[in-house]
Amino acid sequence: MSIRAVGSSRSRYGARDKVLGRTRYPGDIDMAGQAWMKVRFAGQPHARIRTLDVSKARAHPGVIAVLTAEDVPCNEYGLIYFDQPVLCGEVVRCEGDQVALVIAESEQAASEGRDLIEVDYEPLPIISSAEAAMRPDAFLLHPERGDSNILAHYKTRYGDAPIEEIFDDCDVIVEGVYRTGMQEHAYLQPEAGLGYIDESTGQIVVNVAGQWMHEDRIQIAHALGMPEAQIRVEYSAIGGAFGGREDMSIQIILALAAWKVGRPVKIIWSRHESIIGHHKRHAYTIRTKWGASWSGRLIAAWAECIQDAGAYAYTSSKVLGNSHLTVTGPYEWEAVHVDSYSVYTNNVPGGAFRGFGGPQGHFAAETQMNKLAERLEMDPVKLRLKNVLRDGSQLPTRATMPPGVSMGPVIEAAARAAKWTRQGNDWQRPATISDAATRGDHATATLRALPGHRRRGVGFAAAFKNVGFSFAAPEENWATIELHGGGEIERVVVKAVGADVGQGAHSVFRQMAAEAVGVPLERVELQAAHTDLVGSSGSASASRMTFMAGNALIGAARLASRRWEDEIRPATATFGYRPRVTTELNYETGESDPNISYGYVAEAVELEVDLDTGQIELLHVLCADDVGRAINPRLVEGQIEGGVVQAAGYALMENLVTEEGRIKTPYFSNYLIPTIYDIPRRTESLILEYPDPFGPFGARGMAEMPFIPLAPAIVAALHDATGIWFDQIPLTPDRLLEAFKRSSVRAFERKA
Amino acid sequence: MKLTINNRPFETDAPPDTPLLWLLRDELGLIGTRFGCGVGLCGACTVHLDGVAARSCITPLSTVEGKAVTTIEGLAEGYEGLHPVQQAFIDQQVPQCGYCMSGQIMAIAGLLAEEGAVDEATLAEKVTNLCRCGAYVRIRRAALQAAAEVNS
Ligand code: FES
Ligand code: FES
Repeated sequence: MSIRAVGSSRSRYGARDKVLGRTRYPGDIDMAGQAWMKVRFAGQPHARIRTLDVSKARAHPGVIAVLTAEDVPCNEYGLIYFDQPVLCGEVVRCEGDQVALVIAESEQAASEGRDLIEVDYEPLPIISSAEAAMRPDAFLLHPERGDSNILAHYKTRYGDAPIEEIFDDCDVIVEGVYRTGMQEHAYLQPEAGLGYIDESTGQIVVNVAGQWMHEDRIQIAHALGMPEAQIRVEYSAIGGAFGGREDMSIQIILALAAWKVGRPVKIIWSRHESIIGHHKRHAYTIRTKWGASWSGRLIAAWAECIQDAGAYAYTSSKVLGNSHLTVTGPYEWEAVHVDSYSVYTNNVPGGAFRGFGGPQGHFAAETQMNKLAERLEMDPVKLRLKNVLRDGSQLPTRATMPPGVSMGPVIEAAARAAKWTRQGNDWQRPATISDAATRGDHATATLRALPGHRRRGVGFAAAFKNVGFSFAAPEENWATIELHGGGEIERVVVKAVGADVGQGAHSVFRQMAAEAVGVPLERVELQAAHTDLVGSSGSASASRMTFMAGNALIGAARLASRRWEDEIRPATATFGYRPRVTTELNYETGESDPNISYGYVAEAVELEVDLDTGQIELLHVLCADDVGRAINPRLVEGQIEGGVVQAAGYALMENLVTEEGRIKTPYFSNYLIPTIYDIPRRTESLILEYPDPFGPFGARGMAEMPFIPLAPAIVAALHDATGIWFDQIPLTPDRLLEAFKRSSVRAFERKA
Repeated sequence: MKLTINNRPFETDAPPDTPLLWLLRDELGLIGTRFGCGVGLCGACTVHLDGVAARSCITPLSTVEGKAVTTIEGLAEGYEGLHPVQQAFIDQQVPQCGYCMSGQIMAIAGLLAEEGAVDEATLAEKVTNLCRCGAYVRIRRAALQAAAEVNS
């Protein structure tokens, strides 16, 4: 008998092709007779188009067609609101707006044609910050969407009395103004794809790398004014996504171009085009105030969260919902008063990025928690455990937490693994997490006063993250299973089209299907390539794919097995999984049943900071993540290791700078992401398995979770090392040195 | 221009300033060499020139005449099955999205060939290839495994 499929670290599906260089990403596919496309971007943040002259481009040798707004049948798109033109005809609202498409015999000719397009712009006022956009007299970026630039405003009003009265009764108040920067996805594979007409079906086909092929199809069909059946979306291998491929970039224009010229059309974006052409993690400013009792009981929280949505909505309102929910952390409260705003500006749009609002909300919440622990002279683990959400807890939305809350056990497990010691209800922070002795450089006793102006510190943070879409967004996931054979099941064909963006979705689909049917993994064949195979899987986002697809596969396997027992050959069944329906946030009170499931995570960090250079080195990151059930433990560990690296980039170095609406860092030479040199000396993954009552085999989602608590844990460790609280990330050396200059950290150092 | 690619002769009339990357991909269909930035910063396009790792996106054809070009597709030639670095990448389950993998493998194989032995410090200093999935912990482990095998 073979090993069980679920719970075993089987080799990643397709790993061999990846190390042999055989995997095909969208840019790797060519078709006979293909043409090339280039996009003319606006290149400026806000202007009215006076005239757009494409005649020279059209006349250029090799140019086949130039397409503009007039060529788009229904010139609008957007995942939440249709607020963005496919091609701008009147106004451009950000640098990355697309104005025209040039299709030519070669990429070179397409580029030349693009540069021959003449656009006469009348500049409009540039709104480069959310604060400026919120002023009553601010220029309206989307007048059709109301009389202010506020795209969404959520409120939570929870508690029996006005919040200020409740603060009056608190023993301790902790405040902060937290700022988080934009982050670029920087997936290594820039946007690329092919649009063509399938002569056999007459369909317009788009081959790209995305996160949700059925949504791509909806958006394309809407813009082209065609029935969805007329469009097919295919995914080749996907070279990373992290949320950055959830919205449209080249999907609609490829379909448009193939349809208009009747030939295959290929595009590959340069890195610069990719960086200006797709959305970013939102920048936030969060003002917040927490009140607690001397005994360490959380009482009241106030917060105002302002999110820079950029020029178009993308998924900003949904991201806002998540930060709104997490800005009070995974804790119980008596009273909460939160206002969250998503605001249009002329900056590059914000949208989905691993964690989806969770990192920004938790950065404020968990730093508040660590500051509070300091004020109360209480261990941060102890303080968290006193207040943590548990089964039956009520959220500030007045919803009861879905069953299976493991935040407390996860915090405890992380603390123990990071060498916290416990006596009764008291916890004691360790001097070091990493094994300082074995490094042989410094004895434990002198950890906080190292030679050469270096300091060490330890920090802790926790987080919770929804699994699945929130706030009434429709959830569904379809799968088909075919059982082939005679006396025994010889071959299982699985049709499930959830995107494998590198997280390993296709590997775990096969493992879960094998387990559900009861056959060895080798007999399972997966078909996942295009929209016509089976219904939607939903997006590879919200840490939802394993959870939703697993339930769909289990449902399909159960039905197919029944047919198999009825002697039907092949035994085929299709199942659509729909979880419990959640509800929207009430606009006045914030009441909502927001989510069906959560994942829980806690991290401990030890770092060393150089007071002369402002450089931080992560010595040890411990991540304890409750994944419910690890379908493939090695893939889970990979997500933890990778999530930590990406979060370390976010916290320490990734600094997407914009000035007057323009991205000043649109290359890898000035937008730096971690290399092997920058990773923690040691990353320790602690996989916990407290089953989710509704998860397939007990699994919860997990791929975003390890990202979320790292930044606040680093800030706590940095405070431990220097005595300074940093309320803004990234923690660039400049910012650190500036703060060191203003503080007495060096004086302290000389005494030591 | 006459070139040697994966031990086979190849003739092209592409302009001498054409980056090697695009010749490999567009003319020879060797898609295992990836495009990530085009300016030498990400390493996705790493190949070997006479056994030494080089970034093909900033390598004009004129500079490779007379040199042996090896791509990921030719790396395992002369080995039974996979090259030890490729095998180590499977054993350690390194790839996530996989897009950086050809470049990582070529960079590490080149380093091993050049230096014989590698340790963590050499890797951190010499392998600057980007991996946005953050598979670095395993890239390091795989490189050390391959180094041990090559030297045993
Ligand atoms: S594509 Fe050559 S280094 Fe990035
Ligand atoms: S595996 Fe995705 S970039 Fe390295």
